[in-house]
Amino acid sequence: MSEKKSTDKKGLKRRDFLKIAGAVGVAAGTGVILPKEKIFARSSKAKPGHLSNEVKPGELDDYYGFWSGGHSGEVRIIGVPSMREIKRIPVFNMDVATGWGITNESKKLLRGRYTGDTHHVHGSYKNGTYDGRYLFVNDKLNNRVARIRIDYMEVDAIVDIPNAQGIHGLFPQRYPKTEWVVANSEFQVPIPNDETNVTAFNNPQEYYGLHTIIDAERMSIVCQVLVDENMDLAATDYKGKYSMATSYNSEKGVTISEMLASDYDYLLIFHWGRIKEALKKGNYKWISGVKVIDGRKGHSDIVLRIPVPKNPHGVNVSPDGKYAICSGKVSPTCTVVDLDLVDLAFEGKIKPEECIVAQPEIGLGPLHTTFDGRGNAYTSVFIDSTNVKWNIQKAIEAEKKGPEEKKKKEYIVDVLDIHYQVGHIMASMAETKEADGKWLVSLNKFSKDRFINAGPYKIENDQLVDISGEKLRLVHDSPAYAEPHDCIIVRRDIIEPHVKDRVEMFEHPLAVVESSVERKGNHVIIRMTSTAPVYGLQEVRLKKGDKVTLIVTNHDEISDLSHGVAISNYNINFVIAPFQTKSVTFTADKAGVFWVYCTNFCHALHLEMRMRLIVEP
Amino acid sequence: MRVFKILIVFILVSSFAYAQWEFFEHRYKYELSDVLKADRFVKKDGYWEGYSGDRLVGYVFLSKDWTKDLVGYSGKHMETLIGMDTQGRLTGVKVIYHSEPIVLIGLKEDNYKRFIKQYPGKSILTPLRVGREVSMDAITGATVTAVVQNAIITGSARKVATKVGLLETEEVVKRRISQQYMRLNWAELIQTGAIGVLKVEYKDLGLEGKGDYIEVYFGLLDPPTVGRNILGNKRYSELRGRLKQGESALFVVARGEGSFKGSGYARGGVFDRFNIEQGERVFVFRDRDYRILTEVKASGAPDIKEGGVFVIRGEEFDPTRPFKFNLILPYRVGAKKLFKSFTVEYRLPESLLE
Repeated sequence: MSEKKSTDKKGLKRRDFLKIAGAVGVAAGTGVILPKEKIFARSSKAKPGHLSNEVKPGELDDYYGFWSGGHSGEVRIIGVPSMREIKRIPVFNMDVATGWGITNESKKLLRGRYTGDTHHVHGSYKNGTYDGRYLFVNDKLNNRVARIRIDYMEVDAIVDIPNAQGIHGLFPQRYPKTEWVVANSEFQVPIPNDETNVTAFNNPQEYYGLHTIIDAERMSIVCQVLVDENMDLAATDYKGKYSMATSYNSEKGVTISEMLASDYDYLLIFHWGRIKEALKKGNYKWISGVKVIDGRKGHSDIVLRIPVPKNPHGVNVSPDGKYAICSGKVSPTCTVVDLDLVDLAFEGKIKPEECIVAQPEIGLGPLHTTFDGRGNAYTSVFIDSTNVKWNIQKAIEAEKKGPEEKKKKEYIVDVLDIHYQVGHIMASMAETKEADGKWLVSLNKFSKDRFINAGPYKIENDQLVDISGEKLRLVHDSPAYAEPHDCIIVRRDIIEPHVKDRVEMFEHPLAVVESSVERKGNHVIIRMTSTAPVYGLQEVRLKKGDKVTLIVTNHDEISDLSHGVAISNYNINFVIAPFQTKSVTFTADKAGVFWVYCTNFCHALHLEMRMRLIVEP
Repeated sequence: MRVFKILIVFILVSSFAYAQWEFFEHRYKYELSDVLKADRFVKKDGYWEGYSGDRLVGYVFLSKDWTKDLVGYSGKHMETLIGMDTQGRLTGVKVIYHSEPIVLIGLKEDNYKRFIKQYPGKSILTPLRVGREVSMDAITGATVTAVVQNAIITGSARKVATKVGLLETEEVVKRRISQQYMRLNWAELIQTGAIGVLKVEYKDLGLEGKGDYIEVYFGLLDPPTVGRNILGNKRYSELRGRLKQGESALFVVARGEGSFKGSGYARGGVFDRFNIEQGERVFVFRDRDYRILTEVKASGAPDIKEGGVFVIRGEEFDPTRPFKFNLILPYRVGAKKLFKSFTVEYRLPESLLE
């Protein structure tokens, strides 16, 4: 009966609590052994500087790494620290394994363009850290931005960026949450860049760069800010006030020597409050269907131009939100910009260059900077082929003390040789306020002799570095096929709860519940279920010349039970995950018997899982 | 003894969708007298009473009326006709429909029937466990089928037995779990009984080797004192957000050479090596109920080899009442595959209840 134990509501005492033990856990039957006294101490607590990258069979990685795929057009998921490639997500490319670019659903997003160049993949944010909802990635080649939904790890939207060319740097809003995503155009072009503007073709002074703002939820263009400069990498602050871009061609050059002419280029900072005001007031022009705001020097106060030595490359914001650090590329320095001073510069109280609080010398060819959350920066140095760890505060103090103090370079903590020629560099959680200073990945542009020789075209080398201690410690080399540029390394517990094992079946309006064949004139619609090891139809009769739409829904609920659908000699293959629906449309232009078979191993009778398309002449 | 002629009837499904399933589908004709010798049967709510003259001799019932949610490897319920006498002894069992693809592991329909044949004569008032009272010999390898079929037979029979008064229903006063949190380390959680422990040594299986073949630790995550200590705050609150009204969650972790997960769930989606039993109800877990657990947060917790968080679906399970944790362990002696099952009782410590 309901004997109410008189427990102290204010909280049990530990002793009382443990006293009650013992009465339970009585074993029943033979073969049961009661608990022994032996308790195992957790052995995974490694000392700083001694992290292990070993992930034993059955164990999982601590981090999701999201890698861009460069001119492969894809995004990859890499487990960190094992550096195992977990999955490839086709984005701007065609993927014959999964049917991306083959199915009607993916064709609708790709609209006939199957080349892409992904450089920067970033996650959606809430309060300065990832919220596990989306990834965004640029396409420098065809000027698009795609969104990947993390629950399915598939692309669900692609937006074209009009007017702009060389869509390179991309960054989502970090605070309070990602409503905007910014994307930079690296190549200045005439705007508009079409037959209505032919006179500008031969006049590079009429070429412009664009800072494009995208609505992250709708995946549509909010506006573009037009500037004279080109824009390379992008960043946003941790307060929801600014976005940033480095520019290496403020000269408007169209040849290398012209682009290198000036000793200074810029860090451009975009004032979001003023952009919103311009939109509200109607201070924009409609060009190619989007609102374009004039951000040129002397034309508006939206853009702050902080001079940075010669052709800078990356811009990264420290996890405490205080500093934006531009890596010098042609200059051996990093430029540290105090973001609190940027407010004053926008108000005209100080000059833009007065926002710079340090310019430490790092090495030859600094490209990108990442952080450990303990006040240190790690800069990739291309020409020296090193990763350089330096302390931000020490660099600022040295700057204050003067050139003699700077020369001592006491802000440099450690230098690690890498193999070879590093591009991007990224530490775990470094683009969030939760930077944890455990792992760093050095995305090296050359592998040369680090792997068995696989022919003249060699892959890249992503090196894993333990940064948990004072010194950088090289831990692992992993080969990377063409060509990751950048990555983010996200704690598993942030992503994992969002990832699903099966699709919501009726998200797809054509989800098939019952198999059927419907003919409308010469258009035949085949609706088919697939349940291991059988398709819902055994044969379909067609007439040569029929237009055929094949819609298939996977009815298997078991996680990992995906099916393939390949049509022999018809150049069609795609894969459907549990409860997923995909469709293809093609013309039955060859007479004969064509087996449709399952390509993705599903069952002990996988080979028997096939059906016939009988195309009569 | 009467020999029953068994008719295999391939069902014809009108819908295209399942046309191919006929190869796997086995439907048999049946009569109530197939499982209970009686002159006449009287229809009751969910079962039949069987009479010999005026004397009540037993009960006949269909599993789908009692344990329809228990599904096998095929994802479908194995419909079973069950006869039981007035003492709780099974008088006959006949599978009348199943689509278990046992043929894929080299078994025949006859193997399935031989497995079923061992039930008549057994009492359901005492435990009937696969690998213990019930032998897997006839369908070795088809563990999912065997475990679920056993749960169907015993679960249905016990529910009917309870209904007709053969099994006493415990008078259950619904209790509540204390929402108070106390930080406890691994040893303390074991000491309180909040974590159940099941250890099987090599010698228990007659195998060569020293020490434990497998150590299994499990417990209900519902009380914050267990859930938060085991999962950490973040995962615990995620779990709470995921649980529907009336659902509970169990964690199971293991060390050693043996495995409680096995591999059956990868293909069939059913965890065939463990289940829990509460009263007449057996709870079998499927992959959709499962999330991987790779680390126990409680301080002093051992590194684990495998683990999972399992949602106990529906509202039938009462986390405040005791239950049995059954482990069915396949192992090899030479080339021979053997099974042995182990049970440990669990109940949340009184201090975690209100």
